[in-house]
Amino acid sequence: MTFEELEARAQEKWRDIKECPIPLIRVGAATCGLAAGAGEVIEVIEEEVRNQGLDVRIMKVGCIGCCYAEPIVDVQKPGKPRIIYGLVTPDKAREIIRDYIGGGDPRPDLAMGTIGEEEVEDIPRFFDLPYYKPQVRLITENCGTIDPMDIDQYVANGGFSGLHRALSLQPGDVLEEVKKSGLRGRGGAGFPTGLKWSFCRGAEGSPKYLICNADEGDPGAFMNRSILEGDPFRVLEGMLIGGHAIGASEGYLYCRAEYPLAIELIRNALEQMEEDGLTGDDIMGTGFSFHFHIFLGAGAFVCGEETALMNSIMGLPGRPRPRPPFPAVSGLFGKPTNINNTETWGHVPWILRNGADAFAMYGTEKCRGTKTLSLTGKVQRTGLIEVPMGITVEDIVYEIGGGIKNNATFKAVQTGGPSGGSIPYYLASTPVDYESLTALGTIMGSGGMVIMDDRTCMVDMSRYFLGFTRSESCGQCTPCREGTKQMYHILDRICRGQGKPEDIPLLKEMSESVIDSSLCGLGQTLGKTVLTTLTYFPEEYDEHINRKYCRARVCKELSPAPCQAACPTGIDVPSYNALIAAGRFDDALEIIRQDNPFPAVCGRLCPRPCEKDCERAESDRAISIRALKRFVADYEIKRGRRKKIVHPNPVTHDEKIAIVGSGLAGLSAANDLRKQGYAVTVFESKPFAGGMLRMAVPDYRMPPHVIDHEVKLIENDVGVEIRTNVTIGKDMMIEDLKRQGYSAVFLAIGAHLPMDLNLVGCEGAGYINAIEFLKRVKSGNREKPGDIVAVIGCDHTAVDAARTAARLGSRVTIIYPRSRDELPVEEDTLKELEEEHVEFQYLSLPVEILRRGDGSIKAVNCLQTELQCADGAGRIRALPVEGSRVLVPATAVMVSVGMKTDAFIFSSGLELSSMGTIAVDPITLATSHEGVFAGGDAVTGPTTVIEAIAAGQRAAASIKCYLCGEEFKEPYKFVKPRARIEPAEVEEGIDKFQRPEEPVRHGEERLFDFNEVRTGLTEKLAVCEAKRCMRCDYEEEDEAN
Amino acid sequence: MVTLEIDGQKVEVEEGTTVLQAARKLGIEIPTLCYNEAIQPYGACRLCVVEVIMGNVSRFQSSCSLPVADGMTVKTNSESVLRGRKVLLELYLARCPQSKEVKELCERYGVTETRFKTFDKMEDCVLCGLCVRVCDEVVGAHAIDFVGRGTERRVDVPFERLWDKCLACGACTYVCPTGHIQNEGRRIGQLRRNLGTERKCRYMLMGAVSSKICPNNYECWRCEYDQRTEYQLGNHPALALKTTGKK
Repeated sequence: MTFEELEARAQEKWRDIKECPIPLIRVGAATCGLAAGAGEVIEVIEEEVRNQGLDVRIMKVGCIGCCYAEPIVDVQKPGKPRIIYGLVTPDKAREIIRDYIGGGDPRPDLAMGTIGEEEVEDIPRFFDLPYYKPQVRLITENCGTIDPMDIDQYVANGGFSGLHRALSLQPGDVLEEVKKSGLRGRGGAGFPTGLKWSFCRGAEGSPKYLICNADEGDPGAFMNRSILEGDPFRVLEGMLIGGHAIGASEGYLYCRAEYPLAIELIRNALEQMEEDGLTGDDIMGTGFSFHFHIFLGAGAFVCGEETALMNSIMGLPGRPRPRPPFPAVSGLFGKPTNINNTETWGHVPWILRNGADAFAMYGTEKCRGTKTLSLTGKVQRTGLIEVPMGITVEDIVYEIGGGIKNNATFKAVQTGGPSGGSIPYYLASTPVDYESLTALGTIMGSGGMVIMDDRTCMVDMSRYFLGFTRSESCGQCTPCREGTKQMYHILDRICRGQGKPEDIPLLKEMSESVIDSSLCGLGQTLGKTVLTTLTYFPEEYDEHINRKYCRARVCKELSPAPCQAACPTGIDVPSYNALIAAGRFDDALEIIRQDNPFPAVCGRLCPRPCEKDCERAESDRAISIRALKRFVADYEIKRGRRKKIVHPNPVTHDEKIAIVGSGLAGLSAANDLRKQGYAVTVFESKPFAGGMLRMAVPDYRMPPHVIDHEVKLIENDVGVEIRTNVTIGKDMMIEDLKRQGYSAVFLAIGAHLPMDLNLVGCEGAGYINAIEFLKRVKSGNREKPGDIVAVIGCDHTAVDAARTAARLGSRVTIIYPRSRDELPVEEDTLKELEEEHVEFQYLSLPVEILRRGDGSIKAVNCLQTELQCADGAGRIRALPVEGSRVLVPATAVMVSVGMKTDAFIFSSGLELSSMGTIAVDPITLATSHEGVFAGGDAVTGPTTVIEAIAAGQRAAASIKCYLCGEEFKEPYKFVKPRARIEPAEVEEGIDKFQRPEEPVRHGEERLFDFNEVRTGLTEKLAVCEAKRCMRCDYEEEDEAN
Repeated sequence: MVTLEIDGQKVEVEEGTTVLQAARKLGIEIPTLCYNEAIQPYGACRLCVVEVIMGNVSRFQSSCSLPVADGMTVKTNSESVLRGRKVLLELYLARCPQSKEVKELCERYGVTETRFKTFDKMEDCVLCGLCVRVCDEVVGAHAIDFVGRGTERRVDVPFERLWDKCLACGACTYVCPTGHIQNEGRRIGQLRRNLGTERKCRYMLMGAVSSKICPNNYECWRCEYDQRTEYQLGNHPALALKTTGKK
């Protein structure tokens, strides 16, 4: 058959498709589509069409590239543009058939885009989608459009016209054309294709062989598969053109056997080509003969290396051999052989059809044309993309890929699979071409691009890829076989927390030596992953080795459960959850007490950083870690302490320690130091211990008996001496303490002095400071502050003051300059505030307190504010609108704008920070005085309970080092589980159990009494809730050596 | 004739000579483990890797398998060559800590201890493949080969059973640099257990002698021929005579 006849037949058949009189449904049925459920979708479509009595044509096509949206259904109605629907489930498929094919509604809500000249309302053009906009589709032009089983559809879209043109030219001219196009080997090395062809053409020997390398083995790479499954004729045509140019008459297609669909399509393509006289002898009557052979690779990664691949075809074990001789001289069966990647062959027909210049228009000066990349990993949109050479990594990740999944942070991209290296986020402006990637120490490779986010550990990633090359190394040459084994062993050791500082230079030296001395491409590239991660992420190796910490929390031995890691005091949350689930409440409490002496306080007031990091929140809602803690603590308070400590901790050291202030920081430090055998005395100026919690936090949030219980335990069980009614700085000076034999002093005096707001009209009656008010009420004076109270500020003190005032019968409004979304108040607290009829005046900035003639307060004058979006820190700013005016009526104004430390009481001249707090070394907490330490609110200003406890613990550790004469180092972030508790038995149906809301008292009396609002979980709820814990700490050890 | 430069010395050698041969001609020492003149170069031990500069491209190539070319500049002891060699020797020492040959080689190149972990203290096979190749290329018996891939790779007979393809010629034992291969003794033992069938002399099987029956009951040390050939040829008969010359 001549080419003209072939084309005429093809055009006629194509007309039936292009102007199909009935709706034409294309379904992406490549392996990626089938894996996503395209098979089921096709069945549903067929069934639905039959049920509705519609007449449609269904065509299975290859992958159009957007694998993230598979299965893809493409509907072409007569006279209408094609409409692409993505993520089609069987239900969606039924809707599309019913509404668009049966009716006329194109369903823009389900559609992704249109292909064709006309437009459809509310549906964007498919190739204008951000995913496709930067792409240039040359080799993938037919993918998703033509039926890969039908030669005519390929011919009608320009197929074999490249071959037709090539056969009309002299072989030398074809070679020149390919050289001129600047096409370079797409397998990864980037050797100029035309030059390679000319070597083989010039070599002596007959027959000459061509090989198409479709042994795509990189993890995360599927370019060859997509091309072979979407447009198989193209690759075969490329080989025919190559055969003509090189003078070869035999061609092997070496495809991995894991691609059954691709192999089926190639076999079918060869049959059809044979029928039309496009393979075999005398192709298209030109006298050119070419025979194809398909060879299935058995799955060895190393067989992608050209000499190993040829050995494999020859029936020998797939192991590489040293070059020279190069395949062009002595290759397959000792004959001149030209081997190219599938993609390289696939580009050739386009070049011959459209001319070398058209191809060379794309890309950069040194790297012409386009490159297919398989975009995978933690990116929003994954799939097969074809981009011009020289596009930046940034464009690929952010524009095409749509950024990182789950709002995570982009960390690195691995190019070239296990043979390549990583490009860090800070080099994302690198253009993707052979030279630029090589300069960074990685390679283009065949085009795998694995995007990694901040939850990827680069050391673990190196270990993974090295594990891959270790198991895929053929074992012939020593550096690769022994080197990978040893390097894997070293990396594995680092990941398990047994790394040594000398491992880093050793790894570097080894990687370089293995690269230099290995026999084949596998060994010569495998060190790149390690080298690039060592170069670009040295801090992660350092953390793994020196601090035993994995920032991505991937390396199990170096990462505690996320909740435990997030807790400033490192409470072993999973273990106590498991104990609660097992009904062992006392044991659970003991686990908590090992790290934190205040479970009942933290169970009520902790801002719970642990719950923010809970893994369960990814799929469901976080575990109620705080409520569980409160449950076990309350369980003990209700039933009395079971475990009696008969003998308090013995004093084993001579040094005595004085602690000033009995707040959480002071008592935690005292608790830790006393447990370590130091005699500790706590000095408290008030008649009771407990600090701000005991003094100001209202009873309905923090009943006094709860804190008293925990203080008493520290006093009685642990053995800390607490001396109340002694004010250091008045009754006694720091120097006096030293004179009395205290070797170290810890100042945890808190921040008690209210700061003031300089508003016009703030002097006079009715202006109350919130903290003073709270202290007054807590001490028993429950006088109503005023009929209408305006609260300025929205910290915990302000909220507590507002709720207290409301309980005393005032009408309360909180004035807040931002909106409800920015409120620094937890959602459940906000709900309680609303139940207690506390009102909010949002977007208002107080400027003046208006007073009547008699001096009583009339209202608060505010400016309206406007929210301005995030500055660099991501904080939303409220800007006042000039000339606006909002009046908030009030008879009393309560202010809470922060508190400061009363540090001036120490006449001895402690160094203070610019904020007026005590200046300390941030790591050791040492002050300017020898042996005097400070921490908690006195240093940081008001913070949360958990941070105050953590500060006390840090001070205790630091003081101990000081007394022993050791240097205090930043403690490891890594916290080990306190116990190894087996997971609880989980009965059926527990997966349906939802996170319980913390029970709250309802009803009128709550609005006026001071009893605790939250009542805590019941035993049954607590046990069920504890069973929801996924036990991130409990990992079976991997059996990797 | 081809002229090239090795470590600053110009040398003229015949075409087809390998870089290793050219260097040895100059008296430049390059360590090898898997190289034997009688056998095709294999490039597996990588100890002979040198830096080869052609034009402005510098590459690392195994000198045993690389044919000389005009204008080639070879460095056998550049910094990177020595670094790679040192790491390799350490790897060998970690693999075969007991092997005398490996220890001697390491000593000669200044490697006294290894930074790597030894997984098997009794291992003494360096996987140079000399035994496999001599059996295949020289003897033509192909009685042993590599088994397993990558780190699992080892030399063995099919299905771990000695079979009658093995002539007990001893060539593998002879070429083995570390003394790991013991096939000859094992095979002779096996043959002697099954005496009485056909007592073939290994030299006959190699085509080196014409008589068919071994008169010495497979005790080759009593065989005049064995002693004479080795004395005269200075090599194992299989290698000296290259009986089959398969490749």
